[in-house]
Amino acid sequence: MSKINFTKRLSAVVCVASSLIMAGSIAAKAENIVIWGGFPELQGFYERVAESMKATHPDLNVIVEPIGLRDHEKRVALALSSGLDETTVFELIGSTANRYIVNDLLPSAPGNISAFVNNGANFDPFFQEVAAVDGKVYGVPLFRGQGALFYNTDMLAAAGLDGPPKTMAEYSEYAKKLTKRDAAGNPVVSGWSLRLSGGGGGIAEKFWINLHQFGGSLLEKSGNGYKASYANEAGLAALRQYVDAVSGDKTVTVEMPADAAAFQREQTAMFIRESWVIGDTAKKAPNLNYKTALLPRGSIALPVNLYVSGGSEKAQKAAWDFAIEANKPEHLIWMLDNVGWLPNRNGVDYSTVTKAKPQFSAFVDIPEDYVFFTLPSIEPINEILTRFAAKLTDAYANSALVGNDAAMMKVLQESAEETDDILKRAGILGK
Amino acid sequence: MLNKKQFWFAIIAILPTFAIFGWVRIFPIIETLRLSLHQWNLLSKNKPFIGLENFRELFGDDQFFEAIVNTAAIAFGAMAITIPLSMVLAGVIYHRTRSRFAGFYETAVFIPHVVSLVPAAMAWKWVFDAKLGPLNRLIMAFGGDAQPWLFNPVLAVICIILLVSWQTLGYGVLIYLVGFRNLPKSVYEAAKLDGANGIQSFFFMSVPLLKPITLYVSVVTLISGFNVYAQAFILASDTQGSPGRLVRVLVLDMLENSFQNFRVGYAAAEAVILLLIVLLLTAVQFGLLRQGRRK
Repeated sequence: MSKINFTKRLSAVVCVASSLIMAGSIAAKAENIVIWGGFPELQGFYERVAESMKATHPDLNVIVEPIGLRDHEKRVALALSSGLDETTVFELIGSTANRYIVNDLLPSAPGNISAFVNNGANFDPFFQEVAAVDGKVYGVPLFRGQGALFYNTDMLAAAGLDGPPKTMAEYSEYAKKLTKRDAAGNPVVSGWSLRLSGGGGGIAEKFWINLHQFGGSLLEKSGNGYKASYANEAGLAALRQYVDAVSGDKTVTVEMPADAAAFQREQTAMFIRESWVIGDTAKKAPNLNYKTALLPRGSIALPVNLYVSGGSEKAQKAAWDFAIEANKPEHLIWMLDNVGWLPNRNGVDYSTVTKAKPQFSAFVDIPEDYVFFTLPSIEPINEILTRFAAKLTDAYANSALVGNDAAMMKVLQESAEETDDILKRAGILGK
Repeated sequence: MLNKKQFWFAIIAILPTFAIFGWVRIFPIIETLRLSLHQWNLLSKNKPFIGLENFRELFGDDQFFEAIVNTAAIAFGAMAITIPLSMVLAGVIYHRTRSRFAGFYETAVFIPHVVSLVPAAMAWKWVFDAKLGPLNRLIMAFGGDAQPWLFNPVLAVICIILLVSWQTLGYGVLIYLVGFRNLPKSVYEAAKLDGANGIQSFFFMSVPLLKPITLYVSVVTLISGFNVYAQAFILASDTQGSPGRLVRVLVLDMLENSFQNFRVGYAAAEAVILLLIVLLLTAVQFGLLRQGRRK
């Protein structure tokens, strides 16, 4: 009896062990790839792409993890420098990715991916160049950030204004007319919401957009390097406009609600932002009456690409397939319609979306002479923007600068010297 | 006295602990000191030795000085509020509430110390909000003007001091309570016989006798204050269009230099300066205590 019991127990143990080994090996066949993004609103988009890959990649498990952009940049810096176990698809602005590529931390794309990116039918040369370094493709273009003016049509009509402002001088005039004030004269609804506070380089980026309208630029190419180019009349005009708005005309203040949230709550009449606001407003303020308009001279265009690193060769292949899948027309149209970021791919008919949402017109109907600029792919770009942002924050809140061109120019000159010092330290200060 | 066998057994027994301590505490400090003398962008394999160049640049950096001034103001400000207030609260709890409610008061005071920092700071951000915050509503209800708490450079620092003090107060009260419970009762009885009232006993008996506790609480509060980061980050968090002024503190400056500006050597030099400041302050505090004892 005891022999039979022993045999029974041994058989049970062997069965259980075999089942566990088989389950383990089945689980081991499933490939994991992780999607790291810096734009949380794209969570649904990536999940949709992952779902559509199940037919061709039944064993592929896609984990989508988007977080805020600044924290995303920090985790990418840590992950790539210390090495990755799992295959990860990174969403990175082209100028940010450059530092990883030159330090051999991002592999180049395989042949079929390079062919896809280099195909002129798929992408314009501008996007192809940003996705490549020295002619070698490292990423797959996906979408871009591009600025335009958002304005509340009801507020403009109530103020007797016919159409959006067309020059920077008109922006200031409109701001004065659109600002609503309380009995004490304090603004309660800002005429033109500006990015005035908070941390990070976003303040400098938004200033650069305004500076661009005055014909200026934060940095200009000079020989083999760059130099600061905002301590001039264009820079002064841009800074003067900010200072007048905050401390002179008081059409906006530092503590007022700002940006998309303020626009959606009708706490501001107009502001400049990227196209994601359209998708966001459709969800949060579907009844808001607003339109978009081209900026007077041109806009920033920040291409975002998908890069792959880490893990096994098989998983990396699946990850690159994911990047191609994300560029399929049906997904790009969905992204434009539901999120609002502008896809970079050519040859896709976006008219169903742009007709249903005419606010996209300022992003897609671009005149020939519209001038785009982008962040240069240089190592110290983040430091330059962050340090300049700190100087701007102080300047915006300094009422002593109102009407004082000499003082404002001094602020710009001191900051430009700091920018040049940073460029010199990085060995790329132009002559 | 241990014999040889016991001695070696003791060494081997504590070696794993020392090894872990060395790896997680000592090695990072040595590595930080080493990195501060190099230039490194976090990504490159090259880390050229540049000597004291990082330190030379630091001492000409406006943002670094702004960070030191803000951090020192927050650390000393929080200490100035925490120590007297926690001592008084502990004294009141100890002397006035020797009943079943003593535990309740201790718990109530200690709750801010154990509450998670992020939701607490978010709640305080609402309190300090210039338009919607209850603090401004209270001020206006008494006829005052609403203040831009999170935008004015000075007021923003005061907000962080209040938040840090609110969180460290409970810990200080707990430590002082332990101190009060260990004070000799005979001294107070003698003082009572000499006609001293409660307040006199507190100032002339309790305060001097609690000096070692005060030293401990001040060192802990100061170190904690110099490491402030999350409170500054959340009160003016780095979200698009967030209405708030980012108060530049040392840890935030270090993180920005490391992971946004990719200057790890430079950030390490900042960490070394922070370490020296904290060590100096701790030495001064211990020195003051020794002086007091000699007297």
